[in-house]
Amino acid sequence: METTGQLLLTVLMGAFLLGVAAFLARVEDWRSYTPLGAGGGAVGESGYGHAEKPAGLIRWFTTVDHKDIGLLYGLYATIAFVVGGLMVMLMRAELTTPATDVLGSATFYNSLLTSHGITMLFLFGTPIIAAFANYLVPLIIGADDMAFPRINAIAFWLLPPAALLIWAGFFPIPEVIPAQTAWTMYTPLSAGVGNGNQMNVGVDLMLLGLHLSGVSATMGAINFIATIFTERAEEVTWANLDIFSWTILTQSGLILFAFPLLGSALVMLLLDRNFATTFFAVEGGGPILWQHLFWFFGHPEVYILVLPPMGIVSYVLPRFSGRKLFGFKFVVYSTLAIGVLSFGVWAHHMFATGIDPRLRASFMAVSLAIAIPSAVKTFNWITTMWNGKLRLTAPMLFCIGFVSNFIIGGVTGVFLASIPVDLVLHDTYYVVGHFHYIVMGAITFAGMAGIYYWFPLVTGRWYQRTLAKAHFWLWMIGTNVTFFAMVLLGYGGMPRRYATFLPQFATLHQIATLGAFMLLVGGVIWVYNIYVSWIEGPHVQSGDPWRLDETSLNTAEWDWFDAKRETSLAATDGGEEVKADGGEVVDGAPADDAADDE
Amino acid sequence: MARIFDRDTLLDLTVNVIPLGIILFFVVAFVLVDPFGGLDFYGRVLQMGLLVFPFVALAILTYVSGKAIAGDEKRSPVFFQGQATMEGAQTRHEAEADIEAADEAAAAATAEAEAEAEADATDDDADPDTTDEE
Amino acid sequence: MDENPGLSEEYRRASPWPLFVALGLPIAELGILFGLVPLAVGGLLLFFGSIAGILRENSYVSSTWRGLAALSLVVVALGLAIWYWDGTTQSDLLVRAYSVLGTGVLMLLAGVGGELFAQDAEPTL
Repeated sequence: METTGQLLLTVLMGAFLLGVAAFLARVEDWRSYTPLGAGGGAVGESGYGHAEKPAGLIRWFTTVDHKDIGLLYGLYATIAFVVGGLMVMLMRAELTTPATDVLGSATFYNSLLTSHGITMLFLFGTPIIAAFANYLVPLIIGADDMAFPRINAIAFWLLPPAALLIWAGFFPIPEVIPAQTAWTMYTPLSAGVGNGNQMNVGVDLMLLGLHLSGVSATMGAINFIATIFTERAEEVTWANLDIFSWTILTQSGLILFAFPLLGSALVMLLLDRNFATTFFAVEGGGPILWQHLFWFFGHPEVYILVLPPMGIVSYVLPRFSGRKLFGFKFVVYSTLAIGVLSFGVWAHHMFATGIDPRLRASFMAVSLAIAIPSAVKTFNWITTMWNGKLRLTAPMLFCIGFVSNFIIGGVTGVFLASIPVDLVLHDTYYVVGHFHYIVMGAITFAGMAGIYYWFPLVTGRWYQRTLAKAHFWLWMIGTNVTFFAMVLLGYGGMPRRYATFLPQFATLHQIATLGAFMLLVGGVIWVYNIYVSWIEGPHVQSGDPWRLDETSLNTAEWDWFDAKRETSLAATDGGEEVKADGGEVVDGAPADDAADDE
Repeated sequence: MARIFDRDTLLDLTVNVIPLGIILFFVVAFVLVDPFGGLDFYGRVLQMGLLVFPFVALAILTYVSGKAIAGDEKRSPVFFQGQATMEGAQTRHEAEADIEAADEAAAAATAEAEAEAEADATDDDADPDTTDEE
Repeated sequence: MDENPGLSEEYRRASPWPLFVALGLPIAELGILFGLVPLAVGGLLLFFGSIAGILRENSYVSSTWRGLAALSLVVVALGLAIWYWDGTTQSDLLVRAYSVLGTGVLMLLAGVGGELFAQDAEPTL
């Protein structure tokens, strides 16, 4: 039996390697004959055929172009977001009743809970940021490409295997069950100690997948640091570096220090599980060691996820306020301050672990200090909008939604930084509500602002304005209904991570589920809108679709878009035809969303 | 060198001085009040190290980044964010000069009505874009 | 790097290797962690072979075979390390050590052999 398995595996592996070799020979062959790949028009629908790239699917598998990789990251993040979203919808459905009536099993709920967290943070959050950064940073700073294009491609291609490993437990593989450790993977549970089922191979696979996603993020970060330091155009001095690139630079610095630590801790955990080492065993380093290592990564991770979205908002919000960003350098310096201080606050996640109160006080001090730079940014965004000529387009709505939700998420967070309050609220739904205001209400909103803002840049088409606004309002209301109900549940004492609850919490849980379904409907609208508009949306009518020139707020990436557009119009000689597509267009008048006149 | 950290730059850096001040406040408070008492040497090093390390790191990074940014401001033209590589982009200096010139012109203009009419005209230009601010 | 950034849109923006570097790593990790010999050997070959390919593509090494031979030393070192660890823990790591060492030797042979006898194949690989 054992031997047959090994034999089968050997044959499969051999066949796979032969296939790879054959494929490589073919592709390399093609490469040595050079410009044969000119038939790149196969993907011409979105204007993405290029003479310098092979055609069809092979192009996407072999690309090292930062824009292509950015799109791949975007597609990947979207898929992960849909998966993670559907997982949480099952959980919210379960939570409509106090008992496990819907899913029938608390174990399955625990698996979903674990997977939802890891999927959203590592497979959606980090990649969607990498999508924007890959596509835009080189364009904005005037670089030809990333500093290391191939490493860029490797970093992306590590992610699909990572996702498969993380979700492996859900696939119908015999004897593999999903991890139920929650995303924090606290030992001793995650070390498989005791009579539970967490010694299962599914947990090992998840840890490996997480490790891979960490390797991927680290490679990406090195690439961004090198790119921003060395590939900037001459005019782009440090004083001229835009805020989005600043946040990516800071985020990459954080990744560089945080993710290798996560990787090492994961390897230690795997060794504990499989080779009887004692890193996190009571007789060895102790279970609390895991929490220290994990949160020394985990808290910077929070800022790894939130800084670039802050950068997107700082970049996009002024464009629709008709003004420059107020206090640009305040935002830059406070970004850097957050970057440094985020490494000095990790134990505020561990206030309730019995840590020495005198050390706890030090962590509280730094945790309170780190609130200042975030608050500074909030004031900057509000003052930018103050007396501005606001244009309430879809990206602007999402930016404003970001600021609003970020204030609620941030203020609820400041209370948690205070030890006495934290000891009461620790491990309740208050914490869940707090960080979902940030990750959903702020980070995802900024991501959506970015997606709608740069949609014309990437696709050359407009999305459907009405659907985009429906998406925004469903999400804005849905987010607040869901997560404010959670804050209230926390005040009531509802603990986190449970599939069942006392009947007294039922109403608030049902309200939260109602909000979650609004988020689902909004999400479906978003996916539909992006997909359909990409295929058949009206073409953009000018190189400055948001009419930023009128307020002197145009930026380099739209300049690039303008140039690209003109070249392609000249090349195809199809300028008039494109104009006719857009309908409605009155000379110079706004094509679509930009018009904003309802 | 000393010129790099002029008043404007120092004002920009105040944003990071506030968190530094908060940390410093707690350092002083823990030394003076010592709320828990009886910490041994190792414990004291940990307690203070957790405050001093972020303080020093933030101070160094603020200094280095301030020097890089303010230095580049002195050395080469400053553009608004994202506009440096654009053709024909205004530098910050030019934009400020324009605004000043406009202000002076407005102040000098004795015929107030004319100025008003001009302002209306620019408003009309902008209106179609922003007809509804919802 | 091989590319000439001055040519901007003209140079080829494609490379077949990154995908396989990224596939090789998890396969090798799975193989070594769970002691599955075929996965360990195949994954390591795929991973280091693709790295050798990238090094050649970037002209960091003059031939893929030499790159492969040089990288085999890394694999052998890893194998020796696992072999050493086997003596220090209660867990049985010998199968893993042998599969990694074997892969290293295989790569070394392939590298030396390819360098000596497969000169013609060079342009296509």
